Amino acid sequence: MPDTGPRGDRTADASFREADHAGIARLTEELLPALIAKLGTTHLGELEVREGDWHVRLRRPFGTAPGEGRRASDKASRSQPGHEGHGHGRAAPEGHRAARGSGGASGVTAGTGAASASTNGTGADEPPVGRSRAVATSPAVGIFQPGSRAASGTRVRAGDSLGTVNVLGVPQDVLAPVDGIVGSTLVEAGMAVEYGQDLIRIELATPTEARS
Amino acid sequence: MFRRILIANRGEIALRILRACRTLGVEAVVTYSEADRDSLPVQLADEAICIGPADARRSYLSAPAVISAALVTGCDAVHPGYGFLSEDETFAEVVRAHDLTFIGPPPEVLDRFASKEGTRRLLGAFGLPTIPGSDGMLRDDEHALAEADRIGYPVLIKPSAGGGGKGMRMVRTSRELESAIKICRSEAKSAFGDDSLYLEKWLDDNRHVEVQVAVDRYGAGIHLGERDCSVQRRHQKILEESPTPALSDGARATLAETAVRAVVAAGYENIGTLEFLVDSDGNAFFIEINCRIQVEHPVTEMLTGIDLVGLQIAIAAGEPLGLRQSDIAFNGHAIEFRINAEDPAHDFRPGAGVIERYHAPGGPGIRMDSHVYPGYEVPPYYDSLLGKLIVWAPDREAAIARGRAALEELLVDGVTTNIEIHRALLENDAFLEGRMTTNLLDRVGGAAFLAAAAAR
Repeated sequence: MPDTGPRGDRTADASFREADHAGIARLTEELLPALIAKLGTTHLGELEVREGDWHVRLRRPFGTAPGEGRRASDKASRSQPGHEGHGHGRAAPEGHRAARGSGGASGVTAGTGAASASTNGTGADEPPVGRSRAVATSPAVGIFQPGSRAASGTRVRAGDSLGTVNVLGVPQDVLAPVDGIVGSTLVEAGMAVEYGQDLIRIELATPTEARS
Repeated sequence: MFRRILIANRGEIALRILRACRTLGVEAVVTYSEADRDSLPVQLADEAICIGPADARRSYLSAPAVISAALVTGCDAVHPGYGFLSEDETFAEVVRAHDLTFIGPPPEVLDRFASKEGTRRLLGAFGLPTIPGSDGMLRDDEHALAEADRIGYPVLIKPSAGGGGKGMRMVRTSRELESAIKICRSEAKSAFGDDSLYLEKWLDDNRHVEVQVAVDRYGAGIHLGERDCSVQRRHQKILEESPTPALSDGARATLAETAVRAVVAAGYENIGTLEFLVDSDGNAFFIEINCRIQVEHPVTEMLTGIDLVGLQIAIAAGEPLGLRQSDIAFNGHAIEFRINAEDPAHDFRPGAGVIERYHAPGGPGIRMDSHVYPGYEVPPYYDSLLGKLIVWAPDREAAIARGRAALEELLVDGVTTNIEIHRALLENDAFLEGRMTTNLLDRVGGAAFLAAAAAR
């Protein structure tokens, strides 16, 4: 008998979900704007607040433009055995998640335990407040090939194919996450990419567009 | 030997394989799902690559994602660990089609041993005593009833694919059989995508003993002794030890020798485990073979000093075994405790959450294989194994004493664990006297078992 295996995703019961949603709403509407303002007035790199089951951590993006997540260089640095592996290894992947989870100006992670998954899910569907830029990410592990609509300046709609990632000969579409204008492509054609890797920037026409 | 191995698994076994790679001087790339981004194997690997979302079907169970990851990271072999794709002959076939090596038996060997019912007949023909069971798969209810009558109740309904207790039911009457078979079919269908079932004679008060074998590509084979896995909960092992207290030294040696002879004759290759049920008279019956590294492999490593994962990799690379049976010495006694994030007081409900404090015990004869660290968040999507505590001592009594001390020292805060069950086991008379059977816990239930230990 297999000693281990996958277990199905757990479905939280309705009341738990409701409480969860209320928690997320309070976070995004009340707590976050206040925290972002607070962080702006300090020279702190990071700020964390705990309340009940939730904790929110804001981190100033270091040296990268807001909205950018993982880049090819991250992987290269992780390829050095012993370099980031032991002491600082933890900071690197966490940084990725922070940046990717929000895509916004502040880099926000929120959640505890099972709740974090639903928070991330929400973040992927609706661009967070204050966002002016989005990123099309890789749908799979494979070789990236930008398409004709990946040219900088092209106006695209959410769901448009911007290119493909080739998985064992089967191309999978890289989709525009939002309506907007194609910005820079972060990965060269023919390069290997991993699942969820940032590939193509999309500039939103106006910040208000992001909220709709 | 390989140059670069893709580790297509997670948790403690990904870390264990990574350690074997380091020892062999082979580079290791670890695959991970989005839920495992902060995991220890990801942090320690030479390279890590995200292959999909938390849902295992789109990450750890996705053959295209795993193989694509191996190709883009320049690996020449894939280690599947246990569970997930580890015994999937189609996956092994596709791995080979992409000029990669599957670390395990070659696809045609996996295929030959894929059906549990077929394997029982195959190894039976090569001299293994096998458990009485149905003649082939159950075609319909009528066939099932006729076969159960022929075998004699109680019988165990088992799915041909997969395991882990899913789709398995023991029944004592024809009426129970008729209702249970429907449940088993639907469980097997949803868990393994295959609803074929067969029957096995059920032995009341049985013990579970398994033999570890290693066979190279050139037909040289050895056994590495046996492990007793009788302490289970609903067909899931929770504590394993070696040597088994169920058999005499002579009977243990005979069983292991018979097992390795049969698998070599049947054309098995790489490391594997043959599982047996042992009845109250000490008769052993073969039930199934596991064509992969097992969770409980450290028990054998402690007794023999052999790195089983390293051996598995070497055999897959085509190296000769380089060991004769006479080279294998068995020293002392080892016990492994599976530390799971589950709540024994609430029907072993699995838990998830952040590990707030963690301390692994140490000292002579103590080994902890775990991917847990303080601050690690246990994701809710996968199995609940947090790690394995393995203790070794010159004899069983001393090993139990070391087990007690190590379990006392082990600290896991933040999630509920089954550590209390292990402490209770080490105070249980049946266990202490080596009389435990596979129904030790299920007969009374976890909560009652804990209460009984507390009342002592």
